[in-house]
Amino acid sequence: MSELASNRPEEANQGTEYEERLLLAEREDWEINQAVLQPMMQTGPGFWILVAVLGAIVAWGLYAWGYLIYWGMGSAGINRPVYWGLFITTFVFWVGISHAGTMISAVLRLLKVDWRRPITRGAEAMTAFALMMAGLYPLIHLGRVWKFYWMIPYPNNRFMWPNFQSPLMWDMVAIFTYLIGSTLYLYLALIPDMAMARDNTTHWRYKLYRVLALGWRGTEAEWHKLHRALGIFSIVIIPIFLSVHSIVSWDFAVTIQPRWHSTIFAPYFVIGAVYSGLAALASILVVVRRGMRLQEFLRGEHFDALGKLVLVAGMAWTYFWFAGFIVEWYGNEPVVRELIHEEVAGNLAPFFYLQMGANLIPLVLLVFKRIRTTPALLLVTTLLVNVGMYTERALIVAGSLQRNDLPFNWGTYRPTWVEISIVAMTFAGFALLYTLFSRIIPFVPVWEIKEGRLRYTVRRIGRLLVPTAAEIE
Amino acid sequence: MTKKLTRRDFLKIATGATVASGLAPVARRIALEPFVQPPEEALPGQATWFASTCRQCPAGCGIVVRTINGRAKKLEGNPLHPLNRGKLCARGQSGLQVLYNPDRLKNAVRQSGGRGSRQFEPLYWPQALDLLEEKITTLASPERLAFLGGLMPDHLYQIASRLLESLGASPPVIFDLHSALEGRAAASRLSELFFGEPQLPVYDLARADVVLSFGANLFETWMSPVAQNVAFGDMRSSASGRGLFVQFEPRLSTTAASADEWVPVRPGAEGLVALAIGRIIIEERLGHVGSHRDHAVMYQDVDVREMSAASQVPVETLRRLAVAFANADHAVSIPGGYLAGQRNGLASMLAVQALNLVVAQVGRVGGVFLSDPGPTASLQNKPAVHNFEEVLGLIERMQAGEVDLLFVYGANPVFELPAASGFAEAITRVPYVISFSPFVDETAVRSDLILPDHVYLESWGYQVPSPGADRPVVSSQQPVVRPLYDTRSTADVLLGLAARLEGPSQALPWADEAAYLEETVSELNGSSLGAYNARTPSGFWALWRQYGGWWSEKEIRREPELTDIRSKPLPVSEPRFDGDPQSYPFILYPYPSVALSDGRGANQPWLQETPDPMSTVQWGAWVEVNPETAQALGLNDNDVVRVESQHGVLEAPVVVYPGIRPDVVAIPVGQGHLDYGRFAQAASGSNPLALLAPLTDADTGGLAWGATRVRLAPAGRKQVLARLESLDGEGRESLD
Amino acid sequence: MEKDANRSTETHPRWVMVVDLDRCTGCQACVVACHAENNLQIVEEQESAYGRWAHWIIVQRYWEGEYPNVKARFMPVMCQQCGEAPCEPVCPVFATYHNQEGLNAQIYNRCIGTRFCASACPYKVRVYNWFDPVFPEPLSEQLNPDVTVRTRGIIEKCTFCIQRILRTEIEAKTEGRKPVDGEIQPACVQTCPPGALVFGDLNDPDSQASQLARSHRSFRLLPELGTDPGVIYLKGGETNV
Repeated sequence: MSELASNRPEEANQGTEYEERLLLAEREDWEINQAVLQPMMQTGPGFWILVAVLGAIVAWGLYAWGYLIYWGMGSAGINRPVYWGLFITTFVFWVGISHAGTMISAVLRLLKVDWRRPITRGAEAMTAFALMMAGLYPLIHLGRVWKFYWMIPYPNNRFMWPNFQSPLMWDMVAIFTYLIGSTLYLYLALIPDMAMARDNTTHWRYKLYRVLALGWRGTEAEWHKLHRALGIFSIVIIPIFLSVHSIVSWDFAVTIQPRWHSTIFAPYFVIGAVYSGLAALASILVVVRRGMRLQEFLRGEHFDALGKLVLVAGMAWTYFWFAGFIVEWYGNEPVVRELIHEEVAGNLAPFFYLQMGANLIPLVLLVFKRIRTTPALLLVTTLLVNVGMYTERALIVAGSLQRNDLPFNWGTYRPTWVEISIVAMTFAGFALLYTLFSRIIPFVPVWEIKEGRLRYTVRRIGRLLVPTAAEIE
Repeated sequence: MTKKLTRRDFLKIATGATVASGLAPVARRIALEPFVQPPEEALPGQATWFASTCRQCPAGCGIVVRTINGRAKKLEGNPLHPLNRGKLCARGQSGLQVLYNPDRLKNAVRQSGGRGSRQFEPLYWPQALDLLEEKITTLASPERLAFLGGLMPDHLYQIASRLLESLGASPPVIFDLHSALEGRAAASRLSELFFGEPQLPVYDLARADVVLSFGANLFETWMSPVAQNVAFGDMRSSASGRGLFVQFEPRLSTTAASADEWVPVRPGAEGLVALAIGRIIIEERLGHVGSHRDHAVMYQDVDVREMSAASQVPVETLRRLAVAFANADHAVSIPGGYLAGQRNGLASMLAVQALNLVVAQVGRVGGVFLSDPGPTASLQNKPAVHNFEEVLGLIERMQAGEVDLLFVYGANPVFELPAASGFAEAITRVPYVISFSPFVDETAVRSDLILPDHVYLESWGYQVPSPGADRPVVSSQQPVVRPLYDTRSTADVLLGLAARLEGPSQALPWADEAAYLEETVSELNGSSLGAYNARTPSGFWALWRQYGGWWSEKEIRREPELTDIRSKPLPVSEPRFDGDPQSYPFILYPYPSVALSDGRGANQPWLQETPDPMSTVQWGAWVEVNPETAQALGLNDNDVVRVESQHGVLEAPVVVYPGIRPDVVAIPVGQGHLDYGRFAQAASGSNPLALLAPLTDADTGGLAWGATRVRLAPAGRKQVLARLESLDGEGRESLD
Repeated sequence: MEKDANRSTETHPRWVMVVDLDRCTGCQACVVACHAENNLQIVEEQESAYGRWAHWIIVQRYWEGEYPNVKARFMPVMCQQCGEAPCEPVCPVFATYHNQEGLNAQIYNRCIGTRFCASACPYKVRVYNWFDPVFPEPLSEQLNPDVTVRTRGIIEKCTFCIQRILRTEIEAKTEGRKPVDGEIQPACVQTCPPGALVFGDLNDPDSQASQLARSHRSFRLLPELGTDPGVIYLKGGETNV
C-alpha cells in the first residue's frame, strides 16, 4: 500500500487529489479486493474485548428486560401522566438513525453522487441494524408483551383484526416494510462482493459466501439486472423512507396532547431523522475507518461531503424546529405556554439547553472545512448532534406528557435502572451487530468503487494528467 | 342488587340461610333473614342481601350487605333506614376490609412471652373462659375490676353493665376518641342544660334556609355524617332556594368547602361570635319572631365590639350574618365538635344553641329538635360516652394499684388517649388485662389475654342511633356471613361468664346474645307506630332482621321542653391554651380524618388509600400550615417540620394549606400506629395525640384537645407525600 | 311487551352521569365504593407518591383565592365516556371501543398495555396496572365476581359499572320490560350521601339525568377539545362549584 494514500487527509490540493485518485486508479483490482478483505478477516484482541464488553451490556439489558416482563411495567419509571418515557424516546431515535442509510444509498444513488460509493454499505447496515433495535421497542414497552401477536393481522377464530386506525399499527406496517426493504437493498448491493469474497476466501467463510453470493458470475446480463433492481429499489424505498418517520411522528401528532398535536411533526421528524442519522453515520465511519484501517477508502473528501450534508440537514432541522416553536409560542395556549416555560425556564431547562446547544453548535462547527475533514473533530461534532437529537426526542415524548389540560394531573418522570439498562442494551446491541457485521461482510462496496474508478479516472496524456468521465450507469 | 325495592318485595317472607352460630353452652340454629326474597334455594352466583348496622363510627347507619356463596361482597346503605336512607360513607363502604382483614386474630390468645412480646399462644375457648372465671372469682374485691369501653353497641353495654352491677363492680367507663374529638359528651351535657335530658338533638339541615355551623364538621366526621350529607343535598335542591351555609372554624374543612362562607374565627372564640350575633339580633330587633324581650337577659353581659375583637371577626360581618340568620324563614345554628375541644367548650356551645332559641327554631322545621324515642326508649344506652375526666379517674386508680383486672372493649386507649394522660404507664400497674379486640392493637399488645370479638359484620346486636332521625328508629345487626375464625361474640362471653357465677346468672338469665336480643326487641312488636308488625314474636324477630331494624312509619319529631336556661345570662368565657404564646406561637388542631376516623380505620387499605379530601394525601400524615406562616418559617410543601408542645414532639411533612389561620396548625389523627396490622404500620405518619396536654373543659370534663400550643421548626429534610394532585399544577387554574 | 313510558327516539340508551357540584361535599364515599365494587388494586404509599395510585374516580380539589378569602371546590372526575373519545382510535388491538349504549368500553383481556389510550386521554382518567395486584388472604374473599381482576400491564378505568347496567338490563328483559329511570345505579351513584351523582339515559328526555343536563348550570369538562363527554357537571352556587 502506498503511504501517501493513508492516514492524513490533506487540504484541498489539486495535485495531491488527482494524485490520490491516480494512485487508486493505478491499483489493481485484486489489490483493492485484498485491501478490503484483509481488515474483515483480522480479529485482534481489541476486537474480542469490544465484543465481550458489548455482549455483557446486551446480556445485562436482556436481564433487565426479563425483570420488566416478570414484575411489570412498574419497574420502569413511567407513571401517570407520563405513560411513555425512555422506551418510546429511544424507539423514535433509532427509527430516526435508520433514515441516513437510505438517504445515502438510495437518494445519493439516484442523484448519481459519486462520493457515496465507499459508504453505501456501511450506511445501509446502519439502517438495518437501527431498525432492528427500533423494532424491539414496540415489544419492550408493551404491558403484556406475550400478547404482542395480536397486533399482527392473522385470521383467527374470533374474527378479530387489529385496529388499523391506530398509529401504532401504521408504525408496525411501516417499520416492517422499511426493515424488509432496506435489508433486501443491502443484500442486493452486496451480492457482487459476496462473489468476490467467495473467490478469495477459504473454509467457513468460503462456504458462507458461496451461499450468499447466489451463484453470481459477473456476467453482463447479471450486472444489467442488478443495476435495474437497484434502480427500482432506490426509487421505491424513498417514499418508504419519507413515510416511516412521518408515521412515527403521527404516534404523537394525532393525539390531542398539548405540544404533540402539531401539524409540522411529520416533516420535522423526518428532517430530524436525516440530521441525526447522517451525523451518526459520520460518527460510525470515523470509528470504523480507524478501527479497520480503511483510510484509503474513506478519505477527507468523503467526510467533507458528508459533513456538508449534515450541515444542510441541520439547518433544515433548525428551520422546522423554529417553525413549530414560533407558532406554539405565539399562539400562547395556556398548557403549551406552560410547557414552553418548563423548557425555557423550568425543570426541563437543563435538557432544553442541552438540546439546543448540542444541535446548533455543530452547525457552526461544520461550516469549517477543517472540522469536516479532521476525523476526530468530526466525530465529536456528530456525537454532539446525536446527544442533542436524543434529548430532543426525550423532551418531546416524556417532557410534553408531564403537562396536560388539567393542572391537577401534572407529573414528573424519573427513569429507573431498568429503562437505562434496556436503552443501553440497544445501543450496545447496535454496536455489537455492527462490529460483527464488519468482520463478516466487506465493509467497503468494492464493486461500486471499481465502477466509480471506471467512471471517473485520470489519464496521462503525455506529461498532462487529465481527468475524464465515462458514461457508466 | 340494583332493583328498586318496593314494599311488596319486602313483605314476601322467605326462609333464609341457616347458620349454626356456635354459642356456648348449646349450639343453636338461628335463621338469618335475608333482605329481600331470594330464589327458592340460594343459587351459586346469585346474591343474597342481609341487613345490618355499620359500626365504623358511632352514628349507626343501616346497611345491606350483598353476599354471594357465603362471602360478603359489597356494602350499601339500607334504603329503608330512616337515618341514612340508602347512602353510605367512605368508612362504611370499607367495612368489608375489617371482616376480611389479614391481620385478624383467629383464636383466643394469651401473650405467652409477656406483655409487648407479641408472642401469642392460642387457647381453646373453654380454657379461656375458665381463665376468665378464675380471674373474676379470685379478685380481692369487685371494685378492683374495671371495664374500659370504647365504641360499644347498645345491647352489649346493657349486658356489660348488668354484669358489673351484679358483681358489685363499677359500671363501664366509655371513652372513644372519635366521640371525644366530636364532642359527644359535651353535646349530651348541652342538651341536659337546654332541654333537660342528655339526648343529642337533631339539626334539620334539609329544610333550613340559613345554617350557621360553629365548628361542626358535618360532612366528614361529626355525629351522623351520612344523614347530614343527605340533608345537605336536600337543602341545596330545596324549592325555597339553595340556602346560605356559613361555617365558623379555624381550619377550612370539607364542610367549610361546601359552605357558602368560611369565617376563620380565632380558636375557641366561636362562642363569642354566637353571643355577638345573638346580641345584635336582640339589640336591633332583627327577624320576625316578634319580641326578643324574653331572651334579652341571656345577652346581658355581651358587648358586641368586645366579642368582635376577641374573635377577630369584624362587626360588619357579625351584623350581616345576624341579619341573614334572623330574617330567614328557617334558620338553625349548630354547636359542633371543635367547640367541645376547647377549655371554654360548654360556654361556647351554650351560646350557639341559644341562637336557636332567639329565632324560635327549637322544635321547628329547619331548626333543632329532639328525636322521639317512642318505644325504643328502653333500648337506649345511657350515657353515650363518659368524659375525659372520668377516664383520668380510672387511670389514677390504675396507677395507684387499685385495679387488679381490666377489661378493654372497642377502644385502643394506648393510642387514643393523649400520651400525657399516662395510660400507658398506668396499665403496667394492672396485674391482669383482658382485651376483646379482634386485632392486635397497641392496647392489646399490652394485655395478657385477648378474647377477640367477632367483627361487626359477624355480630348480632342493635343500635339506637344517636343523634337519631326524624322518627323513632333502632338499627338491628345480624351476622351476614358465618364468623370466619374461632372468635366469639363478647356478649356471649359475658353471658357465658355470668352463667357460671351466682349473682350474675340471675341478672343475666339469657343463654346467648341472640336470645337476649329476641326478648328485648319483642317489646317493639305491636306498636301502632311501627313500619311493620307481626302476629307472633318469632315473626317479628324475622321481620326485624329482614328490615334491618325497627322504625316508625311516620315522622315524629319532638319539640324539646326548655329549661330555665334563658332566664340567666349566658357565660362569656375566653379560650385558654396550654403553653405560653411566646415560646409556642401556634395552636394545634388535631382533627379526625374522614377516612381513618380516630385511627380505627388505619388497618383498612381502602381507607389508607382514600385521598384526604382537602390535602389529597394518601397513606400518610402531615402538618397543615398557612402559606404566610410557611413562608416566614422558610417551609415548602414536603419539607419535614418539627412540631413541639410542652408534652411531646413529632415530625411530619408540611402541606401548605391556604384554608387555615396563620396562628393555627392542623394535623390529622389516625396514623402513627406501631401495631394494629400491616397496613396501619406500613403508612407513614405520627400520632398527634402525643403532643396534647391533658387538659379538660372544666364544665363538661371533656378532653380539651384543641387547647394545646405548639412551635414549629424546620427539620432540614424532605419527605414526599403521596398526593393525588400535582404540586406543580397546584393553584394554577381556577374553575369556572 | 308493555308500552314503554320512555319517549326516547333512539333504539339504545346513551348512559350519562350528572355531577351536581353544588351538592358534592368531597366525602370520598364514591372513591371507596368504586374500589369495593370493581376490585381495584391497593397501591401503597411509595407507588402512590409516584402517580401510580389506582382510583377510577377521584375528587379533585381546587383552591381559589388567598387567606382569608379562600375557597375550596370539589370536582369528582371519572372516565367521561366521551362520545368522540380520543382514546378509542389509538388502541392497536381494539381493547377500547365505543359500545352501542354510549359507553367507552374497555376489554381487559384484549389489552396489551401500549398505554397509547392513556396518553391520548386529556382527562388522564385511565389507570394502568403497573404491577400485579396483591390481595393478602382473606381480602380476596371480598372480590366482586362480576368484575374481572386485572393483572399487570392492563389499562382500566371507570366503566359506569357496566356489570350493574348489564345485570339490570338482563333482569328487566326477563320481565319483559326496559329498565326504569333510576333503576341502574353505579356504585358511586348509589352510595353518594348528598346525592350529587345521578345516572341515566340521555336519550330519554324524561329521565332525571336528561332533565338535569338541560339545566342552565350544566357544563362539561374541556369542551373545546370536542370529546363530547358523557359526564355533565352542574355548576355550584355563586360561591360553590
